[in-house]
Amino acid sequence: MPRSFEEVLLPHLDAAFNYARWLTKNDADAQDLVQDAYVRALRFFSSLRGEDARAWLLTIVRNTWYGRFPRRAGSGGTIVAGEDADNRADVSLDPEAQAIQQQTVEQVRRALETLPMDFREVLVLRELEGLSYKEIAAVVGIPLGTVMSRLARARERLAGVLAPSEMSGEHRGLP
Amino acid sequence: MDCREIEGLLDAYQDRELESAVSTSVRDHLDTCAACHRRLAHVESIGRMVRRAPYYQAPDALRARLMHARPRSTATSNLLAWAAAVVMVASLTGSILFVRSSARAARTLDPVDAVAQEVVSSHVRALMGEHLFDVRSTDQHTVKPWFLGKLDYSPPVSDLAQAGFPLTGGRLDYVAGRPVAALVYARGQHTINVFVWPEASDAISSDARAIRGFHVRHWTLGGMSYWAVSDVNDAELDQFVHALQQ
Repeated sequence: MPRSFEEVLLPHLDAAFNYARWLTKNDADAQDLVQDAYVRALRFFSSLRGEDARAWLLTIVRNTWYGRFPRRAGSGGTIVAGEDADNRADVSLDPEAQAIQQQTVEQVRRALETLPMDFREVLVLRELEGLSYKEIAAVVGIPLGTVMSRLARARERLAGVLAPSEMSGEHRGLP
Repeated sequence: MDCREIEGLLDAYQDRELESAVSTSVRDHLDTCAACHRRLAHVESIGRMVRRAPYYQAPDALRARLMHARPRSTATSNLLAWAAAVVMVASLTGSILFVRSSARAARTLDPVDAVAQEVVSSHVRALMGEHLFDVRSTDQHTVKPWFLGKLDYSPPVSDLAQAGFPLTGGRLDYVAGRPVAALVYARGQHTINVFVWPEASDAISSDARAIRGFHVRHWTLGGMSYWAVSDVNDAELDQFVHALQQ
């Protein structure tokens, strides 16, 4: 039974937007990008054969981003406040702990945004979207081994940006 | 393996992406090497840190725009499909089209497929329709009694917070032609729905598949039929199922 566009792709809208938001680093561009990606997805919808609709859609978001913003993709860009982010305070914490938590969220957001796009996207796809290495390989278009090494380097880079105040434990790296 | 080799595998190890034999070697090494153990703790700590970054949910306005954008685009693609069909019939024999459509008509769903499609649809409906909870609680002793008098069976309910999958609530749902218990668990920003109802037959079955970008697991245990649906990755969902079966 063929499934409709709404049934298959709208459930992954949050995933598409979150990924787009981390690629573009601002809400307006992220909305434009997702809209373009959906129009494109609609056009190619009949070619979606496999069942992994989410990875398929994220691949289109990524390709649309590279097609639309070839110069900006991969550059540092400016930091825009993430007012639409779902970073509501945890109500089980007291106000002081909440303030500390909010500060941490903000620090991690800034740190992630300063990373080069290649590193940032694998961290977002893995840690926020929960994609498997295989799915990340498909979305980003790199071999599995590269996913593994790039994630390791991305985590190390992020730790470097956050260090020393945020990270506990010693740094990796043998002499 | 020496420390340098182990170090190169730690990220994949904690992501549960290594083959089981390699994973076992790493675990054995970690048991005996304090330095590598500290490095693993470091990698895990970075992961926890990243997961505190904001998850940006799509604005409602965008969702509404995309839903409205669709009919026009469909009309266009239908028109294109018609044009393509006309061209094909005119230029070729048309037999390809005929074979294709009859193959589609012959394809029917078996009962397990049908239930799998149903639980995914229910998962999506619950998440998008915002009716995820009838009872919202992390306490299994609140969730389980809630089903009393609403179902003709008592679903097993356990909190898996220790395993990293906290229970967040439950609701009454309707699957496979009957009212069923749907239990809701969280994994970071992601939701796992577990559907439970008494299995009529003694048949022991299990199933793993992906449908429309969601991972689905099915198993029977203790006279109950279970279906778990989520967009967490395969390894994490297997870990969840394993924890639930304990």
